[in-house]
Amino acid sequence: MNRDELYTLAENWFQENNWKPFKFQKDTWKAFLQGKNGLLNAPTGSGKTYALWFPIILNYIKSNPEYKTKHKKGLKAIWITPLRALSDEIRQSAERVATDLGTQMTVGIRSGDTSTKERTAQKKQMPDLLITTPESLQLLLASKGYEKQFKDCSAIVVDEWHELLGTKRGVQMELALSRLKTVSKKLRIWGISATIGNLEQAREVLLGTDSKALENSVLIKAKLNKKITVKSIIPKKMETFPWRGHLGLHLLEDIIPIINNSKTTLLFTNTRSQCEIWFQKILEKHPEYAGEIAMHHGSINKETRLWVEQAIRNANLKAVVCTSSLDLGVDFAPVETVIQIGGPKGVARFLQRAGRSGHRPGKESVIYFLPTHAIELIEASALQEAVKHTVVEDRIPYLNSYDVLLQYLTTLAISDGFYPDEIYQEVIKTFCYQALSKQQWQWLLNFLVMGSQSLQSYDEYKKVDIEEDGKFKVYNKGIAMRHRFQIGTIVGDANLTVRYQKGGFIGSIEEFFVSKLSPGDIFTFAGRNLEFIRIKDMQVHVRNSSKKTNKVPSWMGGRLTFSAQMSELLREELYKVASPNPSKGGELSVELKSLKHIFDKQQEESIVPKPNELLIETFKTRDGFHHIFYPFEGRGVHEAMGSLLGYRISLLSPITFSLAFNDYGFELLSDQEINIQQVLDNDLFSTDFMLSDLQKSLNATEMARRKFRDIAVISGLVFTGYPNKGIKMKHLQSSSQLLFDVFRDYEADNLLFQQAFTETFEHQLEEGRLRLALERIEQQEIVWKACQKATPFSFPIITDRLREKLSSEKLADRIKRMTAILTKK
Amino acid sequence: MTEVIVLNHQTFTMHCSGALFWEEKSTLVVSDIHFGKVSHFRKHGAAVPQKAIQKNFDLLENIVHQFKPKTICFLGDLFHSSINSEWHLFETWVTKTDAKLFLIAGNHDIISPLKYEALGIVVISEIVTQGFLFTHHPEEREGLFNFAGHIHPSVKLKGSGKQFLKLACFFKSNHQMILPAFGEFTGTYSLQPAKDNEVYVITKDQVLRV
Repeated sequence: MNRDELYTLAENWFQENNWKPFKFQKDTWKAFLQGKNGLLNAPTGSGKTYALWFPIILNYIKSNPEYKTKHKKGLKAIWITPLRALSDEIRQSAERVATDLGTQMTVGIRSGDTSTKERTAQKKQMPDLLITTPESLQLLLASKGYEKQFKDCSAIVVDEWHELLGTKRGVQMELALSRLKTVSKKLRIWGISATIGNLEQAREVLLGTDSKALENSVLIKAKLNKKITVKSIIPKKMETFPWRGHLGLHLLEDIIPIINNSKTTLLFTNTRSQCEIWFQKILEKHPEYAGEIAMHHGSINKETRLWVEQAIRNANLKAVVCTSSLDLGVDFAPVETVIQIGGPKGVARFLQRAGRSGHRPGKESVIYFLPTHAIELIEASALQEAVKHTVVEDRIPYLNSYDVLLQYLTTLAISDGFYPDEIYQEVIKTFCYQALSKQQWQWLLNFLVMGSQSLQSYDEYKKVDIEEDGKFKVYNKGIAMRHRFQIGTIVGDANLTVRYQKGGFIGSIEEFFVSKLSPGDIFTFAGRNLEFIRIKDMQVHVRNSSKKTNKVPSWMGGRLTFSAQMSELLREELYKVASPNPSKGGELSVELKSLKHIFDKQQEESIVPKPNELLIETFKTRDGFHHIFYPFEGRGVHEAMGSLLGYRISLLSPITFSLAFNDYGFELLSDQEINIQQVLDNDLFSTDFMLSDLQKSLNATEMARRKFRDIAVISGLVFTGYPNKGIKMKHLQSSSQLLFDVFRDYEADNLLFQQAFTETFEHQLEEGRLRLALERIEQQEIVWKACQKATPFSFPIITDRLREKLSSEKLADRIKRMTAILTKK
Repeated sequence: MTEVIVLNHQTFTMHCSGALFWEEKSTLVVSDIHFGKVSHFRKHGAAVPQKAIQKNFDLLENIVHQFKPKTICFLGDLFHSSINSEWHLFETWVTKTDAKLFLIAGNHDIISPLKYEALGIVVISEIVTQGFLFTHHPEEREGLFNFAGHIHPSVKLKGSGKQFLKLACFFKSNHQMILPAFGEFTGTYSLQPAKDNEVYVITKDQVLRV
């Protein structure tokens, strides 16, 4: 069959379904059939799955003319999805095309949920089209004879690539692709991404820097003009609306009419605990919704999640309270309205959530923004602007993630083994490791084989062995088993499963939360009140309880920061308040107008800064001396600037700080008063020696220590334990915190230890943005306000409990001072 | 560097390393060293820095040098897991030591007592002497003052300006003292002191009553 005949097959199928293929779909078919790789930029629900399933199947038809009667077995294509919850939807569309076109192709899913029986069957005979996750793909690379399985694979599609880019799972994907390029000679690589700021880079990361694959590739953009309307829910009584908070329950009644007026409404919350609380409260205040509202988040068991998803599709639900677990994939036609509770911290995410409503091409998307505290209305105002001008942020890809590379090399060593020279050539062609030097590579190999850089007596280190011909291989079954188990846990805390005593899986929660419970305690989880009985073998046993509680599990998940673009919009909005300029489009938005009361209050004690002003507020409360700075640069930059400034001040005289940050500014809290005049006189905002000062401040704070946690888990230094086999492994458990100390004291040049600092710089502190911010501050006039009491702007910061520490005092001095107020029961 | 406490007319010196010295008996009490932990990890594919191994032995040698005890009593969890290459280092240390050695077996001590006895170490489940009870797990027994380990105790200190510190400590109640873990690469567990508790935190070079 020639190409035109193939297209006709596809177009006929669309016609039979009363659809018309979009241009981007046809463009993708063509490029694929021409043998090109590419990145498809298309939003969820646009028909992107058909853009790629079609050419994959058409390509099979082309090379197998007798496709209707004869079935050529073996893996033809892999579809990667970041969320296993999406795999079923993707399977359905694949099966539909494969069957309707009359092929005998089979479709299979392989993820953490796949049964052992099915896995064994897959091992014997792979399905033609395989839907899987990045972790499960790694696991396939960890099984013997994988090269044969992938030999005839003609395509790999990485769906929702923007979600993976900028994460270590993305790096995992880069490495897997580097291997598949060699193993599968006819492989085409395709990514699908929502709109992000750095699409071109996203393509480069997917296909490899300076690679043949990149040369032979296209970027296809689905230009679907979708109208998005953002409406803020503005509190009727601003005077009583709280200055801080993160739940937003004050406005619960305001969403009721919205829910009633729409077929189905999705309520997006930022955390799972917030999700639990909202669900609980809505039912408490409006019992009439019982059976009509549901909850969906990543820790709830799969059956419930699938049930909820199906119920949304069938239009059986009025509302679903959810988290980012419903951000991606899954086409939910009945969803008419979306409510975002609290700041989404990113324009791309906000747009994606908005896109969950009016999910059919051409329909308008409506999203409501519900502020959780007054100042968040400024954010709402900035979001309006962002949506208007489609300002979206970049996803920053990782560089030189030694932890992921060590994990990958161990993976290869437990399957068929690897020859370093061959793999090195593949690895350095990836984006992540383009700058990996021969020395660093050798370091990693030494680390795998000897657990250090030189062989020492009495050492029993065991992981990877070298065969006579130079092949790296793992022989120890225990190591292989622990490694396979660890692959799935590239992120996250130790998770415990929650079960009823008599069985019945409810979901999973972090050990951190459980460790604070004692038997008899009641907590809310998955919308139920549960009584904690005991922990046994990594399982939390519970029973239903009718008692009320306010204990809700919190999941640690990182706090998100504003992008540079979003921070700029936020600043611009705020500056409009102090210097309104209606003629230049600077009229105040509804949100800002509603905040008049707050701005007035702010001006009683302090000021609302103008574009050329940097505001510093100081005041004293029971907690100590507060020193608050407002650069409006986003949380990441504030973390960096706060640490930098804290460090520089601590050099002037011994002092201890507790630091807090948010998207508006940062606080240095101390039991001593800082002389702000001295700070200004000493030019502590200078960019001179910024990098070395920042490095030193990192040693003084605990940021790198926290980054080390993931690194230790991924690289296999910390073993998180098997589920249900907890106790046997106990002697191998340690905390990454302890390890961090041991590395700091004995092996500070270890690349994994160093990586914790590099990552903090590049991904958390955003060194580049810090420099720009400091340069901006150098042009600004510094306004220092010594206040009598806390101002509205300061409130969300000073009440933040997540804090960083920094001290230049002697430990003994601090202990002596604290001794006086040691908490005694 | 040290702090002295008198119990039942006997003098005990708490050292910043976490060791406790009983003057009258010339006995050094050391708890939860967890020898072999680093090697255990390495043997199972986790590359914890080797240099950390020597540190525990150095610490022990220093403290023995300082107090020159006639007896050393390990309050359990001397070895972290099954036997490994660190046993050689331990053997070497034992042959160089003049003191009489006792091991009160802890939950981690799964190496055969025969191995210890071959080195002349007495392995027992507890010691009762002069109104004192030495155990691994903390225990309350009528009329006896208990010295124990196992817990790896620490306390959280709170200061003005939302400051917090978590420090390993000697944790004393009316009839009991729990020793901090002596070893490197061992964690701690926070205890909440009540009114009748005395807490001595340890830093790199000091023991401080809080």
